[in-house]
Amino acid sequence: METDIRFTHQTLVEQCKTGNPSSQYELYSLYVDAMFNVGLRFLGNKEDAEDIVQDSFVDAFKKLNSFKYESSFGAWLKRIVINKSINHLRAKRVPLVPMEAHEFHLADEEPVEADAVDVQKVKRGIAQLPEGYKQIINLYLIEGYDHVEIGEILDISISTSKSQYHRAKKKLVEIIRAL
Amino acid sequence: MDNFEKHIRENAAQFNEHKADRAKLWANISAELHQPEPKVIPLWKRPVLRIAASIVLLLGIAGFIGLSVLSGGTTETQYVSKELLEIDMHYKGLVSYQVQLVQNNPNLSEMDKAEFLSFMDELDAEYETLREEMRNNLDNERVLEAIVANYKKRIELIENLLQQLNDAKKSDEDYGYTL
Repeated sequence: METDIRFTHQTLVEQCKTGNPSSQYELYSLYVDAMFNVGLRFLGNKEDAEDIVQDSFVDAFKKLNSFKYESSFGAWLKRIVINKSINHLRAKRVPLVPMEAHEFHLADEEPVEADAVDVQKVKRGIAQLPEGYKQIINLYLIEGYDHVEIGEILDISISTSKSQYHRAKKKLVEIIRAL
Repeated sequence: MDNFEKHIRENAAQFNEHKADRAKLWANISAELHQPEPKVIPLWKRPVLRIAASIVLLLGIAGFIGLSVLSGGTTETQYVSKELLEIDMHYKGLVSYQVQLVQNNPNLSEMDKAEFLSFMDELDAEYETLREEMRNNLDNERVLEAIVANYKKRIELIENLLQQLNDAKKSDEDYGYTL
């Protein structure tokens, strides 16, 4: 019988709902590295990433009863980390999408076709992206969200998400080619 | 999705290269989650305070009821009363002036006068009842309308009477000429 991905670690999650500390630690251990990396990608420094991850786990455990397996626990937790990271960036007034005119370049945006590139190069390329380009690249390419979800996370329209992603991707491909 | 994107998404796990400081983060999370709840001594469990609370509650209810009874003269009622007072004054003046006219009229027999005044007394009694109603703050607007109607009735009566007198006078005067 195929197990639905949403119910991954269900037993553990249910034990955590009762407030069992050892189950909480077990669940934390399974996800802490992944969440730390998510935080790090968005926030760019270890201290902020640690703060956000801590906060996210505390929130997640406190609100665990509202988790109803509509997604996997990991996806739910990751969304908490990302929302907190985005809010943190907003508070620091870091641009979340490229600042140039948002809505008027849909027609002139030609999709950039690119071939598979070595992941290490991509990492270096992303690191060199200007502020405002990184988040959308992270959300789409690495975290694997679609434009509807990105629209919700960044509070932008789906078409803005698409056009900004294409713009950011074009920039990333340029940077990688120049490496 | 081109090969570039596919390749990155398929290898997204490679972006999780950092390791979190598990022990440090957990120590903070755990401290936050398992904070000893501040001891709350329920005040209502102490008998003295229970009695005090009951007294305060009773006083509160009594005060509330008292206030709502006393504040019978709310702004609206006061406004209506003021309006009524003005109408009252106007009609009272009018009525007493005309009653005086009737009483001083030499052309009226004592019997007619008495009959007229008894009608007036009836209307006076009705008026008093209406004022009483008004004080009991029933349907103010309807009571007010009834009071005005009462006044109008009196004036109508007086006017009718005076009209009759004038008509009689006229026919008396005309009588000589017709003969």
